Amino acid sequence: MAAVGAPTSRGYLERPRPSGLADVIDVILDKGIVIDAYVRVALIGIEILTIDARIVIASVDTYLRFAEAVNRLDIAHTDDSQGLPELMESVTSGGAKSKTEGALEGVKEKVFGDDDEQEKEKEKEKSGRRRSSSSKRSSGSSSSRSRSRKGS
Amino acid sequence: MTDAEPTLYVYGVLPASERRAVTVAGVEDSGVRTVRHGELAALVSDLDSEALAAAREVRAHWRVLEEASAGATVLPVRFGTVMESESAVRDRLLEPNAERLVGLLRELEGRVQLNVRGEYDEERLLRAVVSGSPQVAALRERLQTLPDAAGYYDRIRLGELVAAEIERRREEDRAVALERLEPLAVSASTEAVTGTEGAFNLAFLVERGRLDRFSAAVRGLAEEVGERVRIRYVGPLPPYSFADAELTAGEAGWD
Repeated sequence: MAAVGAPTSRGYLERPRPSGLADVIDVILDKGIVIDAYVRVALIGIEILTIDARIVIASVDTYLRFAEAVNRLDIAHTDDSQGLPELMESVTSGGAKSKTEGALEGVKEKVFGDDDEQEKEKEKEKSGRRRSSSSKRSSGSSSSRSRSRKGS
Repeated sequence: MTDAEPTLYVYGVLPASERRAVTVAGVEDSGVRTVRHGELAALVSDLDSEALAAAREVRAHWRVLEEASAGATVLPVRFGTVMESESAVRDRLLEPNAERLVGLLRELEGRVQLNVRGEYDEERLLRAVVSGSPQVAALRERLQTLPDAAGYYDRIRLGELVAAEIERRREEDRAVALERLEPLAVSASTEAVTGTEGAFNLAFLVERGRLDRFSAAVRGLAEEVGERVRIRYVGPLPPYSFADAELTAGEAGWD
């Protein structure tokens, strides 16, 4: 029943098409009622699920990446580059993903695949599992969750 | 029952008066049933194995809650919650937390969650940052003339300036989104932005009856900020972000 919109010329996504898991994965993993002592018992591969693009904008690596990206810009075209053709292109291509994020996005897509690809998932998970040791975010920690609920 | 009692995967909690069965397959392709206690029912599946493959089962978790919440109010339980027995679900989850759970269900009745996420196109964002900040533009100019090694600290400085400028834009765009949408929602929650292209990530609790008006407001927002932010609008979802209570169950009974 959840729906994600389809692109329109203004970049707004109007319904309906079934939402992909990628659209709601953060919500599913981070939200919901927590029953203490019972969360995430005996889950295999949870670390992979949490290696998504949770990039903290406060590291030297990130700064260098930004600097590199800014330096790469072909600024000679800056003034007229916001014209219609480019705008349309980036909308129809689904908001071109940056190349530097490609690796992380890749992991996400590899783990989840398309909605109907359930059969392949176990296999994919195995191949993605070795990455879990590089996860900086402990799956069991609840301290990193954002709790900004308003009212009650 | 003896010790052969199966362990249970817990998806969520809903009013016991809700009678419609969940038909989609749950974790490990199992059936989904309820464990009832007083006014409450827990949505569960019997588990065969000790461990679950997360990437596969997160989909099952989501699917079950989606179907269950199509017509009913359901409190989603955090993904990966497994309890040792049916009696544990009653005695440790439903019984001791009955008042709180019933209260949450009443509060969320007739309301759904809508997520509104804004995304930048990175290249366009960076171009805007360079043309919008003389400081960034000047430092960038200077760096173009230096060999990489010589400009290391300047490059860090440049990146820092860019990051700060992106953060400032994020705050601005998030404020605009909240201003346009919050008045049509019961409640709003600001979630962490993921990835460098993320502009904002907001969850709204909306009355089902006001969905059309809310959607119209999202459309309006998208037109307003469409030049720089691409909007992803997802829902209706079970109220994941508004049912994030932490319940006490005491010691798990299987250690």
